[in-house]
Amino acid sequence: MRFETFVALRYLAASRSRAHVALIAAISIVGLAVGVAALVVSLALLSGFQDRIRQQMMDRSAHLRVSPARGALLPDAERVARVLRGLPGAVEASPAIEGRAWASDEAGAALVPVRYRNGPLPAADAAAEPPARIAGTLAARLRTGSGDRVRLTSSRFRLSPIGPIPVTVLLKVEDVRRTGVLEKAAEIEVSEETARLLSGTTVGAGAYEARLKAPLEVDASARAVRAALGPGYRIQTWRELNAPLAFALLLEKVVIFVTVALVIVVAALNIVSNIALTVVEKRRDLGVLTALGATPGALQRVYLTLGGVIGALGTAAGVLVGAGLSVAADRFRLVPLPSDVYLLTHVPFAVHPGEVAFVAAFALVTALAAAVLPARAAARLAPGEAIRLSR
Amino acid sequence: MLAVRAENLSKTYTGEGAPVTVFSNLTFELPSGAFAAVMGPSGVGKSTLLHLIGGIDRPDSGRVEVFGRALEEMPPRERARFRNERIGFVFQFHHLLPEFTAEENVAFPERIAGVPAREALRSAAQLLERVGLGDRRAHGARALSGGEQQRVALARALARNPGLLLADEPTGNLDAAASAAVFDLLRELHAERGMTTILVTHNPDLAKRCDRLFLMSREGISPSPGLPERG
Repeated sequence: MRFETFVALRYLAASRSRAHVALIAAISIVGLAVGVAALVVSLALLSGFQDRIRQQMMDRSAHLRVSPARGALLPDAERVARVLRGLPGAVEASPAIEGRAWASDEAGAALVPVRYRNGPLPAADAAAEPPARIAGTLAARLRTGSGDRVRLTSSRFRLSPIGPIPVTVLLKVEDVRRTGVLEKAAEIEVSEETARLLSGTTVGAGAYEARLKAPLEVDASARAVRAALGPGYRIQTWRELNAPLAFALLLEKVVIFVTVALVIVVAALNIVSNIALTVVEKRRDLGVLTALGATPGALQRVYLTLGGVIGALGTAAGVLVGAGLSVAADRFRLVPLPSDVYLLTHVPFAVHPGEVAFVAAFALVTALAAAVLPARAAARLAPGEAIRLSR
Repeated sequence: MLAVRAENLSKTYTGEGAPVTVFSNLTFELPSGAFAAVMGPSGVGKSTLLHLIGGIDRPDSGRVEVFGRALEEMPPRERARFRNERIGFVFQFHHLLPEFTAEENVAFPERIAGVPAREALRSAAQLLERVGLGDRRAHGARALSGGEQQRVALARALARNPGLLLADEPTGNLDAAASAAVFDLLRELHAERGMTTILVTHNPDLAKRCDRLFLMSREGISPSPGLPERG
């Protein structure tokens, strides 16, 4: 053990015999631990929610989407489909046929603008109306439920004996799905045939979408598709498709981090006063150590080490408490949510090791930074004067 | 060869209140191997002179050379290493670090020099044996008597086997018997190690047992062939 570490540890251990120093040291450690624990719990809470949102993004969005760089239709839809289906780990690749329309109930009341697109739906009876799956929010506005009928009126016109009239289809609601948080998916899913009728896309597709076994490795798949198709195509991953939401989530995390990190900064002020007090109390020792050959740098390192040790103790305690609380709150569902109001039954917490490491590093660096000022004062102390005045 | 050469030293303390000039244009020389006592009334700057010679304080003007090396010309890091290797200090109030045991206090100079802890503690234990405190090495500084504390301080000063020992009233706080014991030990160690020793003392009985005596006053410092009368 280095001489500086040896002295710093002994000063900290011996502070028990000096009640005022021990009290300030304890406050410094506990304050830092509280700050670190608060930050770990806050980030775990945010991560818990954000992981769910990210999972919804992956579940509801296409993982990879190929659309034309220019124009409304893919120039070679079959080739795009082949490339996407040939990707290692591709689960499915299907055309995306989508557009905007007005939805109303069977009687034509409560006209609501919606986005529609093709989706996986059970095959319908030839004689019955085509099936549709609608979002819960839309169902509420149309006052419809499963088994009811809705009318979808496209912005496209077709010619009739009485002139151009909008393309309209009557659909049977097969399913009403609960809408996810901040969901961007279309409000109404119809069969590919219906979507083609409404959009007027009889052949080809405006885009092709693929789902992957490992959506987190989508970037590699995107590179492979880009290389295979060449220019003329726009290739987007699920991250890019949800970029504004991802940015909002990141911003939320940064704001919470900065706000809660102020607790750590306040705790660091206690470290300043603790070390400054020790420097004043140990003024004579500093003079003696200098007389024995300690350099100003070594004296500075004694107090930096003291700050580092206080920081490490507070950080370790804070990480243990914060991570322990978060894991327990998630595992034992300590914060329940009313399931009829929220999609979740309890507040989720997710402890990400990378975030915990970042919090720990921040707390340690802050503690060390707090020790710099008094440590420099210790190094600048005139040893002769310190000994002379301590007689 | 000169162990110490101090030329035209001046020192004024400026703090709260009026500046206090301790001495000005003081010159002092001491050959290697000498055992010298410095006597004089309180406040004439005896301790300050030791601090300047030991490089833990700086003169306002003048020059200090120790074993031919000018302290002022050394950068702080080199001066600290020089002090660690060549100069030992003993203070009037022992100034042991209270959080550490006798052995750990004695090991400090070696540990500062980067000697591994185990080796430094082994050397410290030997030194404590030499000063008669082998059985007290695990005691905290506060658990020792005044005489024992001063012997530990002496062992600490000798940990790096320095060429120059600066002892600032090492017996000033002890009773007559403990004073004599510490002084005898100092004398023995001086002879054993062939070092140069400067002893600041108010005790004429101890001073007359030194090889050389210097008298210090407001006018300066000068060698004295005999001892001043007690008064």
